[in-house]
Amino acid sequence: MSGDTLTLTLRIWRQNGPNEAGGFREYRLSGVSTHMSFLEMLDVLNEQLIESGEEPVAFDHDCREGICGMCSLMINGQAHGPDKATTTCQLHMRQFADGDTITIEPWRATAFPVVRDLVTDRSAFDRIISAGGYVSVNTGNAPDGNSIPVPGHQQEKAMDAAACIGCGACVAACKNASASLFVSAKVSQLAILPQGSQERTSRVLDMVNQMDEEGFGHCTNTYECEAACPVEVSVSNIARMNREYIRASIVAGE
Amino acid sequence: MDLLCKICSWPACLLARLPGIGPIVKMCFTSIGQKILMALTGLALVGFLVTHLAGNLLLFKGEEQFNTYAENLHSLGGALVVAEVGLFGAFAVHMCLAISTTAMSRRARKSSYAEQQSKRDDVILGGGGASRFMLITGVLIGAFLVLHVADMKFNLRDKLGITQFEHGDEESGNLYLHVRQVLRDPVTRVVYLVALLGLGIHLSHGISSAAQTLGLHHRRWNVLIRGGGMLLAWAIALGFLSIWVLGFLK
Amino acid sequence: MVHIASEPLNSRVPEGAIETLWDKHRFNMKLVNPANKRKFKVIVVGTGLAGGSAAASLGELGYEVDAFCFQDSPRRAHSIAAQGGINAAKNYPNDGDSIWRLFYDTVKGGDYRAREANVYRLAQVSSNIIDQCVAQGVPFAREYGGTLANRSFGGAQVSRTFYCRGQTGQQLLLGAYQALMRQAQLGKVNIYARREMLELIVVDGVARGIVVRNLTTGQLETHTADAVVLCTGGYGNVYYLSTNAKGCNVTAAWRCHKRGAYFANPCYTQIHPTCIPVSGDYQSKLTLMSESLRNDGRVWVPKDSSDKRPPSEIPESDRDYYLERRYPSFGNLVPRDVASRASKERCDAGYGVGDTGLAVYLDFADAIRRDGEDTVRKKYGNLFHMYHKITAEDPYKSPMRIYPAVHYTMGGLWVDYHLMSNLPGLFVLGEANFSDHGANRLGASALMQGLSDGYFVIPYTIGDHLAKADLPPVPEDHPACVEAVQAAESRINRLLSVGGRRTVDSFHRELGQIMWDNCGMARSREGLESAVGQIQDLRDQFWTDVRVLGGQETLNQSLEKAGRVADFMEFAELLATDALNREESCGGHFREEHQTSEGEAQRNDEDFSYAAAWEFHGVGEDPTLHKEPLTFENVPPTTRSYK
Repeated sequence: MSGDTLTLTLRIWRQNGPNEAGGFREYRLSGVSTHMSFLEMLDVLNEQLIESGEEPVAFDHDCREGICGMCSLMINGQAHGPDKATTTCQLHMRQFADGDTITIEPWRATAFPVVRDLVTDRSAFDRIISAGGYVSVNTGNAPDGNSIPVPGHQQEKAMDAAACIGCGACVAACKNASASLFVSAKVSQLAILPQGSQERTSRVLDMVNQMDEEGFGHCTNTYECEAACPVEVSVSNIARMNREYIRASIVAGE
Repeated sequence: MDLLCKICSWPACLLARLPGIGPIVKMCFTSIGQKILMALTGLALVGFLVTHLAGNLLLFKGEEQFNTYAENLHSLGGALVVAEVGLFGAFAVHMCLAISTTAMSRRARKSSYAEQQSKRDDVILGGGGASRFMLITGVLIGAFLVLHVADMKFNLRDKLGITQFEHGDEESGNLYLHVRQVLRDPVTRVVYLVALLGLGIHLSHGISSAAQTLGLHHRRWNVLIRGGGMLLAWAIALGFLSIWVLGFLK
Repeated sequence: MVHIASEPLNSRVPEGAIETLWDKHRFNMKLVNPANKRKFKVIVVGTGLAGGSAAASLGELGYEVDAFCFQDSPRRAHSIAAQGGINAAKNYPNDGDSIWRLFYDTVKGGDYRAREANVYRLAQVSSNIIDQCVAQGVPFAREYGGTLANRSFGGAQVSRTFYCRGQTGQQLLLGAYQALMRQAQLGKVNIYARREMLELIVVDGVARGIVVRNLTTGQLETHTADAVVLCTGGYGNVYYLSTNAKGCNVTAAWRCHKRGAYFANPCYTQIHPTCIPVSGDYQSKLTLMSESLRNDGRVWVPKDSSDKRPPSEIPESDRDYYLERRYPSFGNLVPRDVASRASKERCDAGYGVGDTGLAVYLDFADAIRRDGEDTVRKKYGNLFHMYHKITAEDPYKSPMRIYPAVHYTMGGLWVDYHLMSNLPGLFVLGEANFSDHGANRLGASALMQGLSDGYFVIPYTIGDHLAKADLPPVPEDHPACVEAVQAAESRINRLLSVGGRRTVDSFHRELGQIMWDNCGMARSREGLESAVGQIQDLRDQFWTDVRVLGGQETLNQSLEKAGRVADFMEFAELLATDALNREESCGGHFREEHQTSEGEAQRNDEDFSYAAAWEFHGVGEDPTLHKEPLTFENVPPTTRSYK
């Protein structure tokens, strides 16, 4: 772990507003420490841009510890960059070499319109959750926690799906811009747990319906989503969603 | 394309209101429903391919066996017509859905990336590689089918005087000799080779993809499902290719 | 000079035995009839655990709710990053826990600077929170047989912490978020994402609305309501480097303070002992390693300060497990303030490890030897993974290097027993208020407080206000609304027109350094006085030399940051003033002048057993101190000992 520094060429997508045309602009940045995170590297770039009188690059970020799901970025054609199981905020510059050219683009999907530069609007995900991604229980109605036993292995499976951070990398990486992994993670979590089973029929139908309405593509079954997912949500959830969907279509209206 | 979808959706809307089967009809017009139909029709077509291949391998047994098989098949009469219509139906549905889902995914990403790279480890050998060619291989297979049915069922090229096949006559013809002759034709050789390779690629993604769409996914069995799909795909393609080789034999 | 108000603050704690207070009070509070609830509109600012749960619960009750957050979705609030767990007095492990013990531990952990009645209520409803979350589908860790699992946390000798791997905050927040989105679907809650609150609208002394900036379009929007519920988190980012998210800020709370709400105990800041150390000047935030790691990790430094061998080569006999040495009964699980100060003490004495000498080891070798790597991976896998990602070192093979970092702020807007500030109609929940943790918060109690406030307190207390207050309609063109919008607008224009040379971040970093050096883990009169001067100078520089590019009508992240840093510049002075005023050491507030011969915090109960609530009179003007006397009838104050 020496104090290596890099000189980089950054090709960054700049776009002033949702309805304006965008394009790439190139910046050279030197003295980038390999210990920096990718977003810290962009911070340094932005400081320099402001000093030179150019508006800084807008990008979404918040917790910078890989859990809030706010950061995004297509880095050299890969969602969240080259490192697996990592969000952009946890990606470190030691993954890059001196002299590299790095292309940085926003998530691209019709359902995620660009707001500015690298910032996109992912409210489609909120609307999908609104459509049915919950257990309908009002505050104060709950029985004792231990009155609903959940076997350890089942809970683990639900937790694997529940780990989704809603960043949208699955959509970004899919050649069809499909939201199947995101939707299936919530459908699965609640289908596996006994608490969610009461509403499993309407939930999957409503959520899939909303997913289609938002304009996401259909699943390619190529599993790029799983490979890009920073928390490694498995495509087995998509298979489970499909099963839930078939079942729901048959029994709905009973 | 959008207009086409809209026109198609009219009868669907009416059907979806039907009591009982409403939700199922509705399902056929959602992203997942379309994939499910695609998977079902695809698997039906795979089933056909397997039986078709089994029958055709009789070509290696000799003239008599093959012609007897063909005669038996034709003696089924009405049942055969039903099967053929079913087959054609499955094919038509599969094709229409291919167009509709492709249109959907194009709409889902109107502006494309300047650069895109896979993050999968197994991108060359895995299903991911083949999936990119589903539409083009599908079109190839479709084109092949036109020629194949024209030659084998209707002997059209002969009738239209494009190429002479002397054994193609339906009443007095000898199907075994007709097949051998068609296979020797240079146009056939090129089209069949390309289409069969396309078929292998198409199925190498298609079969395991259909399994996933239908919800068949299990940590322990995935290797079997994906490997088996791949194996079956190339077994079918190579099986048919062996018949293509027959065209070069005396 | 500090002006001291002559009247003590009235916390509206009802009379009676502490066990019965909340039950009786719920009966005594006025109700809003179900059919009338829909006639009342409530604004909830912030969608973390407190805000999300409050907005969802109020929507369920039938109120019209408008919920605001500055992130792109309510699901991203920083509660999501809480790792370790949530406390509840369920006593499932049968190890002697009870409501009374959780109450006792929390009051003691807060170093006797919290309001007893609030803490007791918190302990009482803690069990309901777990039940509610389980019912929502939060995947809490389970035993093989299917019952809920517990682990232990700092400052307690029972296992009462419920958890979802190292992502408890995420799962609880998603539970609240989903409940919120359900209300959005039902039309009871309107979600306003990417909105930043810039002003509080006060009409005839009552909080009646807010002004927000739509961060995408730049438009200033006026929203009026019958009550405002502020759930905007803590102010840890005044130190620039903290474990808070980059967007966390004091702006909403500070603007309420400037409109008359008292700010209480700003000097109570929590420095968390187990964070990944700073690696360079570009560093933008610090990453926490959950306190739960201290269940199995052992903290040590070399016995010899000149020992530069790699940790694996230092034999047991040459290691100083200083927490186990100094605090034999709690060992590595002492509360956060104690653990942080102990590592600072070792590093200041020259025993620190790593390139900077500002780190100590957190070693899992014993746990791995005892339980196997798989067990350790199952408990802490995601934390080890995160450490590995950030430092490129494998904690399964060599010990983690950790150092304290700013994590949580116990201070906040002053609230009474109803969680209402001194401004009627302004309720403050979660980390944004000051109420439950005193001078130090115990691990796994922040999640508990946020959800308790949102699910089980505000639904009752807000009704009492709405039923009693006289609330004439406030149109958008009301003079108070117009004035608030103008105030927000002129501030934005002022920021955009400075046209100086320095970036907002450079000011923020400098402010953070001043705060960390003088108002951090150890404070002295001299340091604090110099800090006040430095802050004032920096603030003047900021307003003459900051450079904010771009305009107001678009997404402008520099402008957002500039507004927040401008508020931190004003707030920082209050923090230092409060720290100067409190001539004692308690919890997270450690004054070097007030320590025992062993270097432990020395409280002064005679003079400082009160909550210090500050009233604003203008930037650079001396604030007025309002005291809320704290009495401890149920947990008599003793010298906090974890030995």
